[in-house]
Amino acid sequence: MIAYLTNLAALAAIFGILASTLNVAVGYAGIFSVAHAVFFGVGAYAGAQIALVLVPDALLAMLVAGLISGALSLCLALPALRVRGEYFVAASLGLQMMATTLFSEWKSVTGGIGGLTGIPRPHVFGVEVGTLPLALAALGLILLATAALMRGAFGRTLRSIRDAESAAEALGKNVAAAKALAVAFACAGAGVAGALFALHMQFVNVESFNLDQSVLIMAMVIIGGTGTLLGPLVGAVILLSLPAGLAFLPFIPATEVGAVQQMVYGLAMTLLMIFRPAGLVGDLSRGKSMA
Amino acid sequence: MSAPVLVCEGLSRSFGGVKAVAGVSLALPAGQVTALVGPNGAGKTTVFNLITGNLRADAGSAMLRGRSIMGLKPHQVARMGVARSFQDLRLFTHMSVRDNVQSATETSAWFWQPGGAAARRAREAATEEALARTGLTDLAEARAIDLAYAERKFLSMARILAARAGIWLLDEPASGLDLASRLRFGALLKEARAQGVAICLIEHNLDVVTELADRIAFLDQGQVLAEGEPQAILKDPKLAAIYFGDRGEAA
Ligand SMILES: Nc1ncnc2c1ncn2[C@@H]1O[C@H](COP(=O)(O)OP(=O)(O)OP(=O)(O)O)[C@@H](O)[C@H]1O
Ligand SMILES: [Mg+2]
Repeated sequence: MIAYLTNLAALAAIFGILASTLNVAVGYAGIFSVAHAVFFGVGAYAGAQIALVLVPDALLAMLVAGLISGALSLCLALPALRVRGEYFVAASLGLQMMATTLFSEWKSVTGGIGGLTGIPRPHVFGVEVGTLPLALAALGLILLATAALMRGAFGRTLRSIRDAESAAEALGKNVAAAKALAVAFACAGAGVAGALFALHMQFVNVESFNLDQSVLIMAMVIIGGTGTLLGPLVGAVILLSLPAGLAFLPFIPATEVGAVQQMVYGLAMTLLMIFRPAGLVGDLSRGKSMA
Repeated sequence: MSAPVLVCEGLSRSFGGVKAVAGVSLALPAGQVTALVGPNGAGKTTVFNLITGNLRADAGSAMLRGRSIMGLKPHQVARMGVARSFQDLRLFTHMSVRDNVQSATETSAWFWQPGGAAARRAREAATEEALARTGLTDLAEARAIDLAYAERKFLSMARILAARAGIWLLDEPASGLDLASRLRFGALLKEARAQGVAICLIEHNLDVVTELADRIAFLDQGQVLAEGEPQAILKDPKLAAIYFGDRGEAA
């Protein structure tokens, strides 16, 4: 039971990082990406390869994974962000589909469909550590950095772009640069989460980095509440506990849990968008149109 | 009259077959209010969009203190000291009034603003001053979306004040204001004029124009039909006929 809860807590922290960082793009800058799992995957493969080929040093793995995911997202975001919002969603969907293929085909790096196995347990300064404290520390640091950035001028810039892009430009803000930075920050965070995930599972394959996963992370942000610090965490915990919670209900046959789970997600999203468009933690007036 | 800060010559722009702006020349001197007057669809807002880089001009030039600003992006034009308001305001609706204004002082897109603590204090001072001058200090924590109509208009002005620009392009900033608010707005504009700001004011209310404008440019169907002292322009029966829509019957 302890092992089960520790595992769930580590996963909650990892998905907490994913949801909080995606929220910087979605909730603050108004950039809707359904490709967050791509950068989660890139970080996971990078972290896994470092542990397998080089050293199982968790800090190095997280740092390199964050840098690679962040830099890659910057290269992709700069051209992609020139298009309008709706088209960006489509562009990110295309990226997600390409990446899924690449992850399953590029065997020398990703291990193909079979994935990478036998990833060694994480070490910090040569001492073996559990992934739960690592993930909690990373989550804490990322939340602190996010809070500091979003409370300051950068957060104001992103929110001003979200609310009225042309007015933000008219005040001298380089909108493209600010959006690209927000995306790079978000994706660097996803990369760190990826490295943690690889070290935690000791096995990664493409199934964790597909469109379903991107949609799940987006659902965590939206259900918890966009544009708030705690909302995405709440969303991550709820959506991760849901399968476990459903499994404990005696009247649902084990084979049907998956289907019931999808129904519950869908129903929750739909009801939420109708009654609380800003999410569980979000502020109530958001999502309503300006009178 | 001082040398103009912003000079446009022959600005033109068509949309499909419609010549929205056709060869507009306009000069904005420092410390003067130039009113841009004309019927609906005359091309007034389009002139602003051509100056600020929101639209590309088909022909013509715009020079800011002798430097061409044609082809620059909107944020680059803004950084050169051109502030504008929008006919539909475009406030940052879900941000507080203070954040709306402070945001106007922060032009770097980077994770932090340059200049350290001293620059930050200067930005905060500019924010508080703009709030005070527009009478929004007590509403600083309210969100823009919760403001009343006149307050929204003043918030749009507060952003411009805080940006500390030398040129203001104002798109119907006084439309729909009650008399008391209009007087407050007038005082604000006169203060800026006295400080040497070059102001271009799009305005339909001729009382407001008479009270505030030093010069009037009369725009119709994308062309400046007349430019000069308010009295001369407003007395011209031909322009009055166009402005009040008698042309329909004449044609
Ligand atoms: N982006 C655009 N695309 C197509 N047509 C446009 C665009 N912007 C302006 N127009 C057209 O150009 C003409 C001038 O419009 P503009 O908005 O400049 O007029 P205006 O003088 O500001 O009018 P109003 O007093 O109603 O604000 C109109 O016929 C308008 O439909
Ligand atoms: Mg207009």
